[in-house]
Amino acid sequence: MASLAATFGRGAMTNGWVDIKNADVILAMGGNPAENHPVGFRWFLEAKKTRGAKIVAVDPRFTRTASQADLYAPIRPGTDIAFLNGMIRYALADKSRYHEDYVRLHTNGPYLIGDAYKFEDGLFSGFDAAKGEYQKEAWGYNPDAKTKAYGVDPTMENPRSVFQLLKQHVDRYTPEMVERICGTPKETFLKVAQIVTSTGNAARVGTITYALGWTQHSTGVQMIRAAAILQLLLGNVGRPGGGVNAFRGHSNIQGATDMAGNFEILPGYLKTPTSAMTDLKGYLDTSTPTTLNKQGWASMNYFVNYPKFMVSLLKAMYGKEATKENDFGYAWMPKVDGNYSWMYMFDDMYRGSSMRAGGKEPGPEGFITFGMNPVGLGPNSKKMIGALSKLKWMVVVENLETETAQFWKAPKEYEGGDPAKIQTEVFLLPASSFAEKDGTFTNSARWLQWKWKALDAPGDAKADQEILARIFLAVRDLYKKEGGALPDPILKASWAYTNPANPDLGDVLKEINGRALTDIPDPKDATKMLRTAGQQVDGFGQLQDDGSTMCGNWLHSGCFTEAGNNAQRRVTADPTGLGMYHNWGFSWPANRRIMYNRASADADGKPWDPKRIGIQWNGEKWVGDVPDMKPDAPPGTFGAFIMLPEGVGRLYSPVLNDGPFPEHYEAIEAPVKNALHPNVTSSPVSKRFSTDHDKYGTVDKFPIVCTTYRLTEHFHYWTQHHLNGRLNEIQPGFFVEIPEGLAKERGIANGSQVKVSSARGAIQGVAMVTNRLTPLKIDGKQTWQIGFPIHWGFGAAEGHRGPLANMLTPSAMDPNTWTPEYKAFLVQIEKA
Amino acid sequence: MSATPTARHRPVDLAVVAGRDQENLIVGNEIVRHRRASRLIHWSVSLTFFVCLFSGMPIWSPIFGWMAAFFGGLSAARVVHPWAGIAFFLFSAVMFFHWLGEMRFLPSERGWLGPKALEYMRYEGDDSEVGKYNGGQKLFFFATALGALGLLVSGLLMWWPSAFPRVVLQLSYLIHDITFIFFAIAIVFHIYLGTAAEPGTFGAMTRGTVTRGWARLHHPRWFRDVTGDDGSRRG
Amino acid sequence: MVMQSLEIRRSSASVWGIPSGIRTLPTVSKYIDTSTCIGCKACEVACQEWNDLRPVQTAQVGTYQTMPTLHPEFWNLIRFNEQNFDGGIAWIMRKDQCMHCDDPGCLAACPAPGAIVQYANGIVDVNQDLCIGCGYCESGCPFDVPKFHATTGKMAKCTLCVDRTTVGLEPACVKACPTGCLQFGTKDDMVALGNQRVSQLKAGGLKNAVLYNPAGVGGTGVVTVLAHGDHLDWYSLPSDPHVPILTRLWKHVVRPLGMVAIAGAVIGAFGHFTKFGRKEVPGSADSGVQPPPA
Repeated sequence: MASLAATFGRGAMTNGWVDIKNADVILAMGGNPAENHPVGFRWFLEAKKTRGAKIVAVDPRFTRTASQADLYAPIRPGTDIAFLNGMIRYALADKSRYHEDYVRLHTNGPYLIGDAYKFEDGLFSGFDAAKGEYQKEAWGYNPDAKTKAYGVDPTMENPRSVFQLLKQHVDRYTPEMVERICGTPKETFLKVAQIVTSTGNAARVGTITYALGWTQHSTGVQMIRAAAILQLLLGNVGRPGGGVNAFRGHSNIQGATDMAGNFEILPGYLKTPTSAMTDLKGYLDTSTPTTLNKQGWASMNYFVNYPKFMVSLLKAMYGKEATKENDFGYAWMPKVDGNYSWMYMFDDMYRGSSMRAGGKEPGPEGFITFGMNPVGLGPNSKKMIGALSKLKWMVVVENLETETAQFWKAPKEYEGGDPAKIQTEVFLLPASSFAEKDGTFTNSARWLQWKWKALDAPGDAKADQEILARIFLAVRDLYKKEGGALPDPILKASWAYTNPANPDLGDVLKEINGRALTDIPDPKDATKMLRTAGQQVDGFGQLQDDGSTMCGNWLHSGCFTEAGNNAQRRVTADPTGLGMYHNWGFSWPANRRIMYNRASADADGKPWDPKRIGIQWNGEKWVGDVPDMKPDAPPGTFGAFIMLPEGVGRLYSPVLNDGPFPEHYEAIEAPVKNALHPNVTSSPVSKRFSTDHDKYGTVDKFPIVCTTYRLTEHFHYWTQHHLNGRLNEIQPGFFVEIPEGLAKERGIANGSQVKVSSARGAIQGVAMVTNRLTPLKIDGKQTWQIGFPIHWGFGAAEGHRGPLANMLTPSAMDPNTWTPEYKAFLVQIEKA
Repeated sequence: MSATPTARHRPVDLAVVAGRDQENLIVGNEIVRHRRASRLIHWSVSLTFFVCLFSGMPIWSPIFGWMAAFFGGLSAARVVHPWAGIAFFLFSAVMFFHWLGEMRFLPSERGWLGPKALEYMRYEGDDSEVGKYNGGQKLFFFATALGALGLLVSGLLMWWPSAFPRVVLQLSYLIHDITFIFFAIAIVFHIYLGTAAEPGTFGAMTRGTVTRGWARLHHPRWFRDVTGDDGSRRG
Repeated sequence: MVMQSLEIRRSSASVWGIPSGIRTLPTVSKYIDTSTCIGCKACEVACQEWNDLRPVQTAQVGTYQTMPTLHPEFWNLIRFNEQNFDGGIAWIMRKDQCMHCDDPGCLAACPAPGAIVQYANGIVDVNQDLCIGCGYCESGCPFDVPKFHATTGKMAKCTLCVDRTTVGLEPACVKACPTGCLQFGTKDDMVALGNQRVSQLKAGGLKNAVLYNPAGVGGTGVVTVLAHGDHLDWYSLPSDPHVPILTRLWKHVVRPLGMVAIAGAVIGAFGHFTKFGRKEVPGSADSGVQPPPA
């Protein structure tokens, strides 16, 4: 998601599930939607059946998705950037293969880049070898000396233009190089490239879909970047049937990230303040982007409204206590002083000391885990278990006793140690399941859809909001009674719910939507009120930075207006005929179904394809979808990507931690050296850890490439299915998929037991010998790849147990999102 | 062995007493033809046959559906049938070995496969050399033994339909049917000859005895063997 | 239980046949497009849920396929098959279930009156009340569908959710199918849909695509789009299914002939008696069995 935000301005699926039916070409790569998103996959098939769309699947395995594809290309796990850069090169080689007008109009292709940017020997300029980080200042645009606007060459022929730099950057990714790195036969690669680039014009549109097969790599963000660049070149972003469509792995994971699921963001992707930002002004100045006007169009840079969103959030947080005089309570906001992402947190825990701010503080002593099973889903299971053993206490809020809740009795092979010696006090609070509470799911397509409670929770199980509320109220009482070092953040927090001990989720959704706290005059007509005090706002456009509005998440604003709970809408009318369904649920932002839809039209506001209209200018306003544009701003006023300071899509994105262009780096554990620059094999900015559990394997001992994945029959770990005999019946146990050739070589029979080991541990399971996995020729050497699904664990009931797949996965991660590298690592396999 | 009753006995039916464990024996005016064991075996086979018949016929064709009422319905008939079949086969097997020794074909009996049988049915021809069993009876004996085996094997296959290939099952049904049809025809004649057509015969399987006249008529050589009467006195 | 609200077109072991023909219904059909089936098994679970079937104990033996064959508690099975095709792989996923033949072999073979019925709308159903669990239907079915349930002692198979379809709902599997590869409607509509999809596949280069609706059993109530119609074995489908000749021979030739033969034997015996009478022992006094002297 970091990648899409860095390219387009917002970190979410650009289009939507239903919109996939409008595509002419669908590239499914870095994901297996037929397996993991079978319901959404119907739109792939709809496109195939109604439009004759071509589906192309690129995957290490011949998957369920591949079984439906018109073309399948095998690829070695972790080499997707090489493949995508190869396609970018292929597209740029011929003007008929990319949408030139679109590139000129809607991307930063014509922008000029400063001289400090370079790429040499596998490294971008600005690399600080000591810190293992890039100094991103070296990557800036080249401002025009006179106007201070950013230099642009509309011909895109200037060698310092983004377009030319990109061309130069990907020139090394020849079809031969793609074959050498990815193992994809050159002819197959060219066929894929030919089909995908057939959409590089106004008449045709293609979409690229991905999921965790891209995210979970040490180069995950850049993989998605490469796809986004390709889509910008093909002119496919913002158009119905186009986009870069991220498929989220859970029913509400989009909602979780929107609501600050990560440590570095606040709700609505506002930035978590750091300890250096001591006052609100300083914070807002740093966080609000400066508009980068290019010559010609101005940029709308919608994020100039950042202070409105932040102040409204602070008003939601601290209510009446938040005043202009006290910076709306900004001081009470928690500030981060380091990296609190998953693996850092567990590293701190395991080592017993914190790396934050110099690393002299002790590690965490307690841990609350809510609806999450770190031992199961964290990489390198032994380290997870080891880390939890160091805690004084842990609270697990779950509906079942997960591996995390019972880490202290993990089987021997997890090296958990002696339960008698583990001092961690574990509290298991029974929580209700999703069906036992109401609320919303925000799906991949950014649709907030209300769901109603289906049944009562069993026994003492409580809904999450009640558990949270009761902990909060108890803690607040303790602060009231006993005081403390810093009671204000708790005592001043607003808790204005009808039932404080068990807030109604409708109340919470209203708070998320936001409301006027005082009367707000209409700026266009002084005799009228935009909103009167107490009214729900219609959307984030009505939010104010003077404390007169409150809003829990500006991005979701519009979900619960005076008209009611829009997440509950279920109107199936679709006047667009494109599957937009504007009166079904609520789609952030502003109920817009296709983001960046301004890019679906040309410079004059006419749609590229009159049959697939995103929005169009009718002379007075933009009509069609909810415009991703000031509704009455004529064509030519603003660029199409209003959330970016440039106002255009970024082929070149100077904000990520690992480079402005995607570059192929091998996984942290790779079978070969980097064919492009052997001295920089894997990402130079991807961190490694150094405890005794952080072992990294090499190809001599672990010659086989391995990947992990999910099965359609199960949803995540056994916690979802071990009480349901039917799901166990249709996929009864852990297995390892092994190519026929490798099985023959190792004497492994289908259905027999095999042992798979990595530098970190070993697991055992049933061999599934198949020709759906093929040997790949990597750099001239035959390389085997295997894979296994993740759904089992030691905590399940008898008959539902299996090894934790993450016993084998490495402590490696992406340098932008700190997402673990679950999808490519090295193993050895033998008969068990 | 002697069947002579002692004086202490109350007046008894000497022939029946003798027939408990002896046969081919003259008792007064009668000759014991089948001792009790033989009769028990016969009637056991007969009873299980009828159980099979009445439980099988309604499955065979809905026309005989009413027969299922004897068992409480078709489902019950279907449960009874295979077990009755097993019992029928076991008794048939016992019967087979019980009588096997007496059922050797003589060279003179070859004609029973053809013209001799017809002559017999027309009450014609020379029966003077017929022993305890005539050629027809011996044929019937072996045919029913073979039939019982055929019914058993095909029946067992039909009992576990899931365990065998479809073609095997289909053949089993066919074999079971055809065997049954021949068996049924044979039984019709067996019963007819043993009751209506040849008076005095039925007693051989109830009391176990026949009259001298019956024996002389139907099984002259046996009669001669048992009585020592070579027929010269008949003149 | 048989649906009382549906008229019966054909009934097993019926002597006279029973349709009144008063009420007619269009034949219904299920459409399966194996070329857009992703093998997600939602239909398997939906089938078990709706029909209240218990989970079957299974084990991972090296395949995505849930179990080797249909099962009395598992009426809907996706068969997975990997084949080399066109330099790559064809991963076949075919929904195995009762085909609801127009000329059902199970019904032909069934000896229990009314235990297998074909409703006026073409659905072939087992009436559990009348089924005697003999398993004859297993031998008559060319698709190896009906399975004997050891616990109930009855046969079990897909009912095409007759309890749902009768009240205007689609079968549970169709309801659950996420991709739309399952559809339900009149046979005419489903065949039209199938033919359309087949032409689409052919136009896309799969020249051997067919709509599987075999004439040997009078057409099936479940029509299946197959991308590789020249390789029916990939789908575990028979190339020319029909009611087995042996079943026909046994039911329609041997059985009537046998009945005639047995009746003939009885009549023959009577005839014999009328012509030849008893074979009396000469001297009537000798003929009866007298009680022995005391």
